[in-house]
Amino acid sequence: MLDRLGRSARRGAGEFLYSLGFFLSVVKESVLLVRRRQVGFRVLVMQILFTGVEALRISAVVAIAIGAAINLIGSSLLAEFGQSRLMYTMLIIVITRELGPLLTAFIVIARSGTAIATELGGMVVAHEMEAYVSVGVNPISYLAAPRFLGVVISMLVLDVYFNLFGLLGSFAVVQLIKPIAFEEYFRNLAAVLRPGDLGMGLLKALVFGVIVSVVSLYRGFSVERSSTEVPVAGIRAVGSSFMLVILADVVLTTIQYVG
Amino acid sequence: MKFRIRYADRVVGLFVLVALLALAAGIILLGANQRWFSRDFHFTTRLDSAAGASPGTPIYLKGFQVGKVERLSLNEGNEVDADFVIFDKYYPKVRENSVLELVTSPIGLGTQLLFDPGKSDAVLKEGSFIPTADSPEGRGLIEQGLVDIPPKDDTITRLLADVSPLLENLNKTVITVDRTLTEVNRAVAGRSDTPLANILGEASKTMTKVDGIAGSIGVIADNLRATTTAIRDPTGLIPRLLDAKGSLKTLLDDKGALYSDISSSLAELQASLKNVQEMTTSLNAQMPSIAVTLDEGRTAIKQAQDVLEGLKNNPLLRGGIPKKTEQESTYQSMREGQF
Repeated sequence: MLDRLGRSARRGAGEFLYSLGFFLSVVKESVLLVRRRQVGFRVLVMQILFTGVEALRISAVVAIAIGAAINLIGSSLLAEFGQSRLMYTMLIIVITRELGPLLTAFIVIARSGTAIATELGGMVVAHEMEAYVSVGVNPISYLAAPRFLGVVISMLVLDVYFNLFGLLGSFAVVQLIKPIAFEEYFRNLAAVLRPGDLGMGLLKALVFGVIVSVVSLYRGFSVERSSTEVPVAGIRAVGSSFMLVILADVVLTTIQYVG
Repeated sequence: MKFRIRYADRVVGLFVLVALLALAAGIILLGANQRWFSRDFHFTTRLDSAAGASPGTPIYLKGFQVGKVERLSLNEGNEVDADFVIFDKYYPKVRENSVLELVTSPIGLGTQLLFDPGKSDAVLKEGSFIPTADSPEGRGLIEQGLVDIPPKDDTITRLLADVSPLLENLNKTVITVDRTLTEVNRAVAGRSDTPLANILGEASKTMTKVDGIAGSIGVIADNLRATTTAIRDPTGLIPRLLDAKGSLKTLLDDKGALYSDISSSLAELQASLKNVQEMTTSLNAQMPSIAVTLDEGRTAIKQAQDVLEGLKNNPLLRGGIPKKTEQESTYQSMREGQF
């Protein structure tokens, strides 16, 4: 039993060090990609297109729905307690600080995390990686770095859009049900918005983007030879990404409130 | 080729650009709200205590926030040095002889820092010292009428204004209650002829009677207490009587012996009474004979009296009855004689 435990710990430590090395390698290649403006730049643009632009619609719908719900609760339920102004605080907390980055991360995981893992896994099975290496192209530099940057940038941009739709788009929806003066709404919203709220939202989006992209890339590259490993890699990418994103969210929220 | 793929660069560029513009707008809005782009004018003051004030505490003038406290520190003389700023929009209000007021709500609704502008036309230079209203310097300025102290139209003052009518009503109520109590006291003392006084008089009489009854009740209660104590006493008469092996139990549970005895006694008593009744009846029947006998007896006695009277008066028989000599007893011991 001790032998098994020792082997398991050694394997876990080895895997952790390997993944850490993979992460550092991806970061290094990403920095070089920006500096060199290599051919991988086109891959980056396509990645932003797939991860960001194409996810915008669903992200907007979710943001408007949540924002409208908070608006309606704030303007009806909270008014009964004489706390209508708390609606703006709730909007900032939910849309900007907490749910915005988290829901954006979930959307990206569901759409792009699986796609990246299965795509890279398929390339490994099809020996495309070996072909890249054989012609002197670093797969990390050409395949991983643009995807990493693409997912991170998309996460940040999608988070900004989520805020935009959640705070302003929802206002437009609520106008159809319960009109509020735009100036009053905007002024009250600005009064409760703090730099920390905006900063924390963007920081979470950045961290979640890094987690989703690195985990998906790592799972994709983990495929060895069988095509049956490809869907497994996709599932593992989703599971690991969800877990790590939630853990990171808890850690960041704790730091924000306790620190 | 799909439009998006064909113009991917432009689509992505637009996607990122709009986001950057929105972010920039948000940051500018935030900055404007946080006064990142406005100039603040710094001043200093000295407070007795920092209680209720802290960095960031707003400074108000007629309900408008004109500035805020930036820093508080305890100096060598155990006074609190405060650095505060006045927003550029309100800087022209900071004139000579201005004072600061730290107003604490008497009913615990918090503390407010108020700015009272001076009546001078000269604007104070940035970095100047502005005294507080409770400092000797500030009091001097206020007494001289150099400070424009606006009426306190804050929430606390409004609350106090609302409290005043309530206090007035309360005062009226207290006066009414006082009058009523005076009348009641007069009625109780019997110095009034109002219905209340009559009622109280009757009530007083009733109470006197109740006092008498209460005395009796007291005696009854004492007896009851004594009885209760006797019942509680395990060696007392009542427990012994009521005990399962007590006398009462024995008397009541003797298989009818007691009842039989009582019944027989009553039968005998009844028989005796019957005899007495018969005897009485017989006696009643003999009553006329007895009456005649008694009457004849009386007549005989009267005649005997006459005979004896005649005998007494008869000269022949006078002195006829010899004198009786008393014979001494011969039963006497010889030894007791005079030898």
